Amino acid sequence: MPTSRRTLLKGSAAAAAVLSLDWRRAQAEAETVRIGTIYDLSGPFAAGGSVASSVGTEIAIDLVNEKGGIGGKYKVAAVKADSQSKGDVAINEVERLISQEKVDIIDGVFSSAHAVPLAAKCEQQKKILWITTAVSTAVFKDKNLHYVFRAQIHSDQYGQAFGGFLSEHAKAKLGMEPKDVKVALIHEDGPYGSGVAAADEVFAKQAGVQVVLKEGYSAAAPDLSTLVTKIKRSGADVISHAGYNPDITLFLRQARENGLRFKMLFGAGAGYSQLDKLRATFGTDIDNFCNIDPVPAQLLDPAKLAPGLGDLIKTMVERFKAKTGATEVPPHCSMGFNQTWVLLNNVLPVAKDKYGGFDPEAVRKAALDVDIPPGGTIQGYGVKFFPPDTPLSGQNERSTPVVMQNAGEHISVVWPTNIRTQDPVFPLPKSSVYAA
Amino acid sequence: MDIYLLEAIINGILLGGVLALLALGLNLIFGVIDVVWICYADIVMCGMYAIFFLYAQYHVPLPLAFLIAIIGIAALGILVHLFIIAPVLDSAPINQLLATGGLLFFLQSFATLLFGTDFRNIGVRLPVLEVATIYVSFARLIAFAVALIGAVALYVFLKRTYIGTAIRAISQDREIVGLMGVDQRRIYLVVSGIGGALAGLAACLLALQYDVHPFIGNTFGPVIFMICVLGGLGNMIGGFIAAFVISQIIAIGGYYSSTELSYVFAFTFFIVLMFIRPRGLFAP
Repeated sequence: MPTSRRTLLKGSAAAAAVLSLDWRRAQAEAETVRIGTIYDLSGPFAAGGSVASSVGTEIAIDLVNEKGGIGGKYKVAAVKADSQSKGDVAINEVERLISQEKVDIIDGVFSSAHAVPLAAKCEQQKKILWITTAVSTAVFKDKNLHYVFRAQIHSDQYGQAFGGFLSEHAKAKLGMEPKDVKVALIHEDGPYGSGVAAADEVFAKQAGVQVVLKEGYSAAAPDLSTLVTKIKRSGADVISHAGYNPDITLFLRQARENGLRFKMLFGAGAGYSQLDKLRATFGTDIDNFCNIDPVPAQLLDPAKLAPGLGDLIKTMVERFKAKTGATEVPPHCSMGFNQTWVLLNNVLPVAKDKYGGFDPEAVRKAALDVDIPPGGTIQGYGVKFFPPDTPLSGQNERSTPVVMQNAGEHISVVWPTNIRTQDPVFPLPKSSVYAA
Repeated sequence: MDIYLLEAIINGILLGGVLALLALGLNLIFGVIDVVWICYADIVMCGMYAIFFLYAQYHVPLPLAFLIAIIGIAALGILVHLFIIAPVLDSAPINQLLATGGLLFFLQSFATLLFGTDFRNIGVRLPVLEVATIYVSFARLIAFAVALIGAVALYVFLKRTYIGTAIRAISQDREIVGLMGVDQRRIYLVVSGIGGALAGLAACLLALQYDVHPFIGNTFGPVIFMICVLGGLGNMIGGFIAAFVISQIIAIGGYYSSTELSYVFAFTFFIVLMFIRPRGLFAP
């Protein structure tokens, strides 16, 4: 059928409109940096700190966008993904972010069990994985990763803090030589719990204390009473526990019901950092438990941080409370916020200005240039990534955890001693239902 | 005897009580309606939420909250039958399984949407019994006693009442029993209601021991399904005993090896038994 002039005009107009629309969209996209964010927004990890991390990340992105975007020019568009507390879903969602959403940078990851395969996947596809929360050392150890970065602490450091605290305080506080102190190490059996327990064992032995029990369990186990009985049998003075939320509450409840007594319990972040939720279940029973984790930024003295960080922390805390209605701000918010803040303010502007864009190669080079001294981030530690061809390539070499202790709603930093805000209560006071 | 081993065995028996109660309702439904409610543990989760909101949020007295939850979950059981099971009753078993599996995901997602992912606790702290340095959880002791009473009551109901006799008859031959004047649809509704009520009862006892969250069903679902199959699907006495067999493997296995390995032992035992007695440990 011959094409009439009218039809040709209509077709041309439509094509021009489509082209114009496409050009406008392309222009809009050129001014926007699309970053995939992946957290467990449903499933058991969600309430274990993943949602708090994701809110921290959201706040960091909002604040940067309110100031005009990266370097004041490029707005950030977050493409969100929910890994549903399932490893297979995490992998599929990252695949979707990379292949369908065409993002080059993925920020987030709560669970170490997800971080291990996601790191391998992103490395293979040469996309940036910027881990905010997952801590397992195994994610980086001897993997020589080039495209995966983590400013967050790693699980070996939980062991360092655990061993360091015990060797420093055993004699003075317990009146026991370290060699006489018995510790039980219990953990969920994923990479996070196993990594923390392995590090605890190494550093506890270095500190000279006796490891009388080391045992893992599934975070979904319906019963932990036999584990409690075995800790009783071992005669442990101190317990280190790396767990998520449902298993921690089950363990503490069954520990009380089965008459388990100890001198101190050290949590390793995760569920132990969700203090408001633990207190809702256990009230004052959990007072004076120690918790090792990166510090919630609001606990630090702003005077010891770089100028302006005190105000930034205040804003983060206000926004977290406004977004969630929570009365307390867990460390996971600081983790999600801090790591994302470093990415948006210390890496991406350099990638654009020095290396010519936001592609993975430019971002990777910019990340390796980062050199933030201690006190330069809201969580107190500095940032400098181990370079390629080193055992922990991509991991921040300046990250540090702290030992915290809570009494009611008041949380204190009790270790390292040079930055502590309070002398530790050690052993548990006799008034505790768990006190030996 | 090693006092700690004795404590582990006692804890195993008490865990068995919890699992037996959960298996009871699932077995009853399968035995009569011949459909596996994969979502059974998630229906228990609904009951736990009902108790949490009634007691902790609206300050309804606990016994009344329990009663409302049992009645409510019994009604939910009937609704599940009417709207999910009945339409696929004559379909292939895989379709029935997919329908109840779909309901499982629906309930988990719906609970996440409504209540969020937080862990909630009713905050009831029951005393602990201490007998010669062995500690026994009162909440678990109650669960164990209720499981025993529930099993006996169900047995008496099935043996001594007209409806019970009809239920047993339908479980033996669903085709013929209609010719004897038994209304199958009515019996299905009664069984779904009783199965739901047992889920509600389990919810009452679990709410005393566990936090409720949208995924609590995942903690119990696989184990109770394994127990039902081990005891012989539809065999209530078999399921009841199998719950204690599995709980003792978990308790004693965990005591002598590790908590992780104890579940490996339990599932290995299950797999081996399936080769030896494919219809279950207590199948005729």
